[in-house]
Amino acid sequence: MDLFLQFLTNGLVVGVFYALSALGLTLIFGLMRVVNFAHGEFYMLGGVVGWFATTYLGLDFFSGLVLVALAMGGFGWVVDRFLIERVRGQGEEPGILLTIGLSIFLVNITLLAIGPAPLKVTRAITEGPIFLGPVTITKMRLLAMAIGVTLIFGAHAIIHRTRLGSAMRATFQDPMAASLAGIRTKQVYAATFALGCTLSALSGMLLASIYSAQASVGGLVSLKSFVVVILGGMGSFPGAIAGGLLLGVAEALWGGYVATGMVDIIGFLLVILILVLRPQGLFSIRAERA
Amino acid sequence: MTLERNILLALGVLAALLPFAVTDQYVLHLAVMAIFYAILANSLNLVVGYVGEFSLGHTAFLGTGAYTAALLSVNAGWPMWAAVPAAGVVAALFGLAIGAITLRLQGPYFVIVTLSFAEVLRIVANNWIGLTNGPMGLAGVGQGGIADKTVFLAIVLGLAAVTFYLSYRFVYSNAGRAAVAVRENRYVAQSIGVNPFGTAMQAFVLGAFLAGLAGGFYAFYISFVGPEVFRFSFMATIIIMVLMGGKGTLLGPVVGAVIVTLLEEYLRELQELRLSLFGLIVMAIVLFLPNGLMGFVARRREQRGDAPSLSPAIEERTV
Repeated sequence: MDLFLQFLTNGLVVGVFYALSALGLTLIFGLMRVVNFAHGEFYMLGGVVGWFATTYLGLDFFSGLVLVALAMGGFGWVVDRFLIERVRGQGEEPGILLTIGLSIFLVNITLLAIGPAPLKVTRAITEGPIFLGPVTITKMRLLAMAIGVTLIFGAHAIIHRTRLGSAMRATFQDPMAASLAGIRTKQVYAATFALGCTLSALSGMLLASIYSAQASVGGLVSLKSFVVVILGGMGSFPGAIAGGLLLGVAEALWGGYVATGMVDIIGFLLVILILVLRPQGLFSIRAERA
Repeated sequence: MTLERNILLALGVLAALLPFAVTDQYVLHLAVMAIFYAILANSLNLVVGYVGEFSLGHTAFLGTGAYTAALLSVNAGWPMWAAVPAAGVVAALFGLAIGAITLRLQGPYFVIVTLSFAEVLRIVANNWIGLTNGPMGLAGVGQGGIADKTVFLAIVLGLAAVTFYLSYRFVYSNAGRAAVAVRENRYVAQSIGVNPFGTAMQAFVLGAFLAGLAGGFYAFYISFVGPEVFRFSFMATIIIMVLMGGKGTLLGPVVGAVIVTLLEEYLRELQELRLSLFGLIVMAIVLFLPNGLMGFVARRREQRGDAPSLSPAIEERTV
């Protein structure tokens, strides 16, 4: 039972980051309908920029986090305005190919710049375990998880409490009506893409502070984010969170009790099952969008 | 339609004459790989171009074909002429099973679920050490058999002939036209009595069969099969070929396969910059040649008021 609780905790910690990254993708893929295969590269760049900020610029962890958010938000904005905007409204295929090209480019440019070795992001606090009954968790994990949860609430607040958020929701309900009502939809699309990019990058930096950042990690992250978005239901905010936690826990339990080698298979099996049995996702309520 | 057929025939004759003109093993290798990719791109094009659903799991069939041929050769000593068709058949059976599940879905769901199948197979191939030898892969496929590149070129040309004959017959049959009708408007197609699931299934299984043949050939040619045949980067290469050449035409994927194969080789001189440049080229093609090279050619011909477009399939598909 103690072992089970430990697996559950580990799963929930990882799940928070899956949820954060998938939240970014649910904005880009679920709402904007861009099948974004460069999403994992945004995540990877978050870790790499975080490493650069804490190691070379000598910033502390929290300033680094802010820098990552700003840099990657700007980057996402530029990507949308210069690339994605030009294929908007043409179905999925051009977007898929465009983001595949972007992801190939980003991975290899990063490899060229920093090499394939894993990079350490300087931690905010010293490493040390905390014992909660039978469960052990390190301080850094707890902190990163707390930041992750805060960011999730922050994103929720942006979407539901700000003018930008209302503009987003209006645009994705009906772009034509939104632009007639005076919403500059191009800006809204770019802002949504930037927000999605930022969430993914922050997730990347937080996980890099627990494990490490690596140029080649992106592909798997993209796939897992898609898995989570499909699990939770496209464009569903609570779905992305529940899907992320579910995937994290399922992987931790599978890895703990069944086989570590095949851990990555579980997400794909879940997706196949979900799409066969309940294609709208676990938590999707059709009216609820973002 | 006849122009497309004639160009394909001419390309085939050209490739058949190649060994008489060049003896350089490296050039012959490039030719073999280009034709192998042409088969593969064509098989994917049946799904992407004619059914109009974007499959990202085509490596599932390439991989099962390659593993089938490799296992039959290494464990049972089957010769190439028996193992490669068997690979096609096994891949077609996988196509039947996977298609039965995935073709019920459309759009982004189809994209992700096909990708999931390929990933599941990759992870299984990586971990089922007893059968697949895991990440070490199966080496020595077809050992002691053919060594001459000219013979391989003849074999792959034969496979390409079979592939394009079958695809041509399919595309210009009632089934192929029904598939195009479903692609253009699912509801109208249904209203005139086309069964969308059935027609899509035919194209999907045919595509799987051809990809399996290509996989079987690949196993014998490289004489090694590892889990990387299921990898997404392989898939990305094939997709790029289809879309660069122009989906929904028979000629497009061939053109795309030749260009990408040569591009990957000649960019090698740039070493580390190679893949970054490749990514940039892919993005440029999406932005500036949205219907691929064949779409570009077709539009130019229309602008000059020449014969109607190369294939009815690519007219004003997007936007």
